[in-house]
Amino acid sequence: MEALKDAFDFSDFSKIERIILVLFTLFLLIFPWLGSGSFVKAVMIYFLLFSLFGMGWNTIGGYGGQVELGKAQYVGIGAYTVALTMVWWKIPFWVSMPIGVLIAIGYSFIIGYPLFRLKGHYFAIATICTSLVLQDIFINWKLVGAAKGIELPIREHPDFLYMQFKSDTYYFYFILALFYVALFYMNWFRKSRLGYQLRMIKDDEEAAESLGIDARWCKIKAYSIASAFVAVGGGFMAVYNLYIDPYSVMDLDLSIKIALMAMLGGAASMWGPIIGAAFLIPLDRFLGSWLGAQKGLIGVDFMIYSALIMLVSAYQPRGIWGIIEQFRKRGA
Amino acid sequence: MPFLQVIDLVKDFGGVVANNQVSFSIDQGEIIGLIGPNGAGKTTLFNCIVGYHRPDSGKVIFKGKEITRLKPFMTNREGIGRTFQLTKVTTGMTVLENVMVGAFCRTDGRNLAKVEASAILGFLGIDGIKNYRLNEIPIASQKKVGLARALATQPELLMLDEVASGLNPKETEEMVNIIKRIHQEKKITLFLIEHVMEVVMPISQRVIVLDSGEKIAEGLPKEIVKNERVIKAYLGEKYAKGL
Repeated sequence: MEALKDAFDFSDFSKIERIILVLFTLFLLIFPWLGSGSFVKAVMIYFLLFSLFGMGWNTIGGYGGQVELGKAQYVGIGAYTVALTMVWWKIPFWVSMPIGVLIAIGYSFIIGYPLFRLKGHYFAIATICTSLVLQDIFINWKLVGAAKGIELPIREHPDFLYMQFKSDTYYFYFILALFYVALFYMNWFRKSRLGYQLRMIKDDEEAAESLGIDARWCKIKAYSIASAFVAVGGGFMAVYNLYIDPYSVMDLDLSIKIALMAMLGGAASMWGPIIGAAFLIPLDRFLGSWLGAQKGLIGVDFMIYSALIMLVSAYQPRGIWGIIEQFRKRGA
Repeated sequence: MPFLQVIDLVKDFGGVVANNQVSFSIDQGEIIGLIGPNGAGKTTLFNCIVGYHRPDSGKVIFKGKEITRLKPFMTNREGIGRTFQLTKVTTGMTVLENVMVGAFCRTDGRNLAKVEASAILGFLGIDGIKNYRLNEIPIASQKKVGLARALATQPELLMLDEVASGLNPKETEEMVNIIKRIHQEKKITLFLIEHVMEVVMPISQRVIVLDSGEKIAEGLPKEIVKNERVIKAYLGEKYAKGL
């Protein structure tokens, strides 16, 4: 019960933050009725999806302080589970998505156990490697479509069981619901015992061990929580795009984006991953479609993208949220 | 049965023998001081007992149970708390949150942890700084936070590594009082490394002296200060005459 109360209790945030949260919620609820085009709607869906990814990453990467750069493998596990079970056995999304999450959790324990013997840079490199290995396996594995990927069979009529709709509005509300589940979960998580212990491990691992904290086990737990979050998003990607291949759901690029967004927004803070996604996803999409499409300007979007990241990290390593807090402190 | 028993402990860092055949025992309710010159192996001995180092040979027995080679978090759960020579100055958590993490060792509930942490901060007289971060408070307070954190895990044996180093005389006196109160009111057995003789001599019931990894003396404080080897190795002629 205390856990539920903690999840819905935002009273330790400032009044401005709570007002913004309410306004933001209202905006999201009426967003599909504001008459925006399909491109803007798709951007919004991706913003919510990457916020979900970022919040998951924030457990181990933010609160736990472990530079984790292999989240794409869990996006892949979630997406492939949903896609394959539907192609092979016609299993509805609502069954296959939880199965994907369970597989991701199981896999994360198997991978996490040896992985967390490593620390610092070595850990970061190892996470990249495990993700790349899995991607390579999927690229060469004929049974799962290899490099060509898999197309999900399209239903004749919109089907709630298989999460296939004609309009993006349904997808929007579904990912919005997931986003809020994640938000409430994170609100509980940051106040939970594991949350405190992870922050202590991040601050001073030696001292944490002297306080009865099994640092490695705590990290593994947080790692699998993050993996579960990401696998949910992966399942959504499969039904939303109706097509997946190892490059779209398991790429290193995706892993880095997930981590970068959370870091840019502000790791180890409640709003950081959301701010980061709100900032980078539109930038990524608009720059890509405006500049990238024009001849001779291919790649300019990435340059602007990385320049912004360098600027923020040089000015305030704690990201955009760090800058906001700095100003608030000065004002107070 | 001794409370903590260390038998023939050896720790060899490949050439440098930091602890060589060290044996001693501590009874429940005692305050034991551990002294010795720099590099004598005092902190290594602490680290071997709580599990940061794996001893090469020898045994550590706590409350009749062998705890040699257990990991630090396991020895803590057995009931051994420790503080560090240097409290790492961190910016991530407030003082209260730091102590709450200690309390989370014995409880799951956040409110309970908060109550316990506040009580311990009150006991040490530092509840005024509970919302500051470790980089915002003076060194004497940092030391007390390290102490509070360890106390929050409800240890039966508390091992203090130079809890008075870097403190001025007034702060040192305050720390001595706190140590005494921890011993008397919380009934915790204490084992402390200390360089400041003004701390270690008045409160210790027995003193163990290490030099170059070997135990060279053990006994009452007043015997130790007259011990030839100890004077030669560590205290110096001046201190012996002054007492």
